[in-house]
Amino acid sequence: MLMPKKVKYRKQQRGRMCGKAWRGGELSFGDFGLKVMEPGWITDRQIEASRVAMTRFVKRGGKIWIRLFPDKPVTKKPAETRMGKGKGAPDHWVAVVRPGKILFEMEGVSASDAAEAMRLASHKLPLRTKFVQREGVH
Amino acid sequence: MATATAEKNVEAQPRQGGGKNDARRLRKSGLIPAVVYGAGQDSKPVAVDPKQIRRILNSETGHNSIFDLSLDGQSAKVMIVDWQFEPIKSALLHVDLKRIAMDKVLQVRVPIVLKGEAPGVKLQGGVLEQMLREVEIECLPGDIPGHLVADVSKLEFGQTIRISDLAHDDKLKFITDENQAVAHVTAVKEVVEAAPAEVAVEAGATAAEPEVIKKGKGETEGEAAEGGDKAAKPEKSEKKK
Repeated sequence: MLMPKKVKYRKQQRGRMCGKAWRGGELSFGDFGLKVMEPGWITDRQIEASRVAMTRFVKRGGKIWIRLFPDKPVTKKPAETRMGKGKGAPDHWVAVVRPGKILFEMEGVSASDAAEAMRLASHKLPLRTKFVQREGVH
Repeated sequence: MATATAEKNVEAQPRQGGGKNDARRLRKSGLIPAVVYGAGQDSKPVAVDPKQIRRILNSETGHNSIFDLSLDGQSAKVMIVDWQFEPIKSALLHVDLKRIAMDKVLQVRVPIVLKGEAPGVKLQGGVLEQMLREVEIECLPGDIPGHLVADVSKLEFGQTIRISDLAHDDKLKFITDENQAVAHVTAVKEVVEAAPAEVAVEAGATAAEPEVIKKGKGETEGEAAEGGDKAAKPEKSEKKK
């Protein structure tokens, strides 16, 4: 599962995620990509599940790039604990995404295979996504 | 191969005001803000039709197309040097247009198109990866090619095509390092299905926390003391229950 190697602080506040992804919204490596259309958090487990779904579908052939990294810790209080007594312990990691961000990129497969792989990956994610491809690629 | 000089004419209107509210009003009226500069003249804010600009960007020569810009009854040869898209709907937001002197060499980025089917992919089971999609060249405006062709029909497994291998005429000069790789055929990583035991170990590993960068000795002592307090607290809460 993806997570940072070193952090400056163990816990973070939730933050805001208004606005659009003015960076990271264009295909940089591959010919096909999956663009997210709404803001939200994507957990390390969801990223891993999407990656596995894509690699299983394309098997041999095709290269995949993951364009997001879960660098935000999310804390959770233990079950059946009274409120208060401070913030809970770090539980998992999330990536904050804004609409327009490219989540995954793919190359070396046909457009139909890439679209199917991205469709399978999108089913593992909690947000609405769109398949995008470079102009002139079939 | 098509050169970048296009027989197109784009009408531009002079634009007043440079704020975001003016730009927003302009976009709502169906035009987009643009700016014209270069050739030793002052820059001018203008408004252009996004449909015409998009047609140029989607043409065979793309953003390297040189076209006529009509402004205040005068016409000038210009080129699109920068453009901005809205990230969700991909609507054109703004363009930078540069006046071009047809007798002076200029530096432009030209797309690279891969041609043919690599035997390294077809027979040896590799993956063709294109590392470089645009190359920077220097030439006269009339000689800008629409694209450069990289022939991969003889590319076997492990082989690489470099910028120096691209087909081109003597009129253009490469600015990008000629030794830089354009495309290669690489191996595909086999998908190894993790055994259930390994998955369990991995799930356990996620519970481990990353290393926290510590600042100084004094703070670490403070943290230790804080940690000690926290360790004591759960006991108290247990007693309450």
